[in-house]
Amino acid sequence: MHIPDGYLDLPLALTFYILSFAVLAYSIIRGRKELDESKIPLIGVVAAGIFVAQMLDWPIPGGTSAHFVGGGLAAVLLGPYIGSIVMASVVIVQCLIFGDGGITALGANLWNMAVINVYAAYFIYSILKKKLLVKNIEISSFASGWLGITLAAIFAGIELGISSTFRYSILVTVSVMGVWHFLLGIIEGIITSAVVMYSYVYLQAQKRYIV
Amino acid sequence: MIAERKEVMSMKILEILRANRRVILLLGILILLVPLFGYASEVVGYSEPMENLAESFEVSENTLYHGLFYDYSIDGLDPYLGALLCGIIGILVTLLIVNVILRLITIKKNESS
Repeated sequence: MHIPDGYLDLPLALTFYILSFAVLAYSIIRGRKELDESKIPLIGVVAAGIFVAQMLDWPIPGGTSAHFVGGGLAAVLLGPYIGSIVMASVVIVQCLIFGDGGITALGANLWNMAVINVYAAYFIYSILKKKLLVKNIEISSFASGWLGITLAAIFAGIELGISSTFRYSILVTVSVMGVWHFLLGIIEGIITSAVVMYSYVYLQAQKRYIV
Repeated sequence: MIAERKEVMSMKILEILRANRRVILLLGILILLVPLFGYASEVVGYSEPMENLAESFEVSENTLYHGLFYDYSIDGLDPYLGALLCGIIGILVTLLIVNVILRLITIKKNESS
């Protein structure tokens, strides 16, 4: 999911820097209102967990695979504002310390994994939980993890598809990224649902809540 | 004054560690899984859809910045051990960055209220 240097046209890469930092600034402004200092250590632990979970490449026979992204998990556990700040921190650490994802593509990677993945996942989670009467947290969090990563991949496909390096083949790039992540995203959904359920049970037992 | 502050800080850290021991254990297990998953993904020939897509379009990476530990490896170390240590470094740096950012946000919040 991390776009490296050399894949995106530079004006496009710059546009995504601006878009991502604008949305992240909005997340900081909105997140500030709901942030309680006592919850910071726990939020840090969630971020660290997402970082290390992203290091685990799923060894699926056949080769084509992916790794956990965690945008859905961050959205459900922390809400969209703090969730996007946490995901942005993880993506920035990956890029600056480990060279995972290109420095020119950082804006696009932030857009896909810290903005689209988190906000879309949260939207899906709240719609399912409130409006469509799927009160079941397992199903709502599964769908948010699954569809969140799929939408993030579709955006990555759009970015690649409007770049000259991929010969503006947007239909091909979007379908390859979208279909594969739609299938592989089921694993993301299962992990998201399992961690969300564990967190609810664990934190409720301790009478502690993240958000 | 400084000694008192240090004592309060260490008490706070101990309290956090104690309250989150299960989560910390889970993080430890995940770190230990890093080399195992690295080996297994090598065996199955792991590649992501984006890499396959780039290959079909004959697009290659043009890395401009390698970071401190490029591709989760440490120069001169066995790749699996390097990945394990990178996992630990990454967790610590992420914890630090998130704590600093969120504390800065709360300081601004307190100032404005």
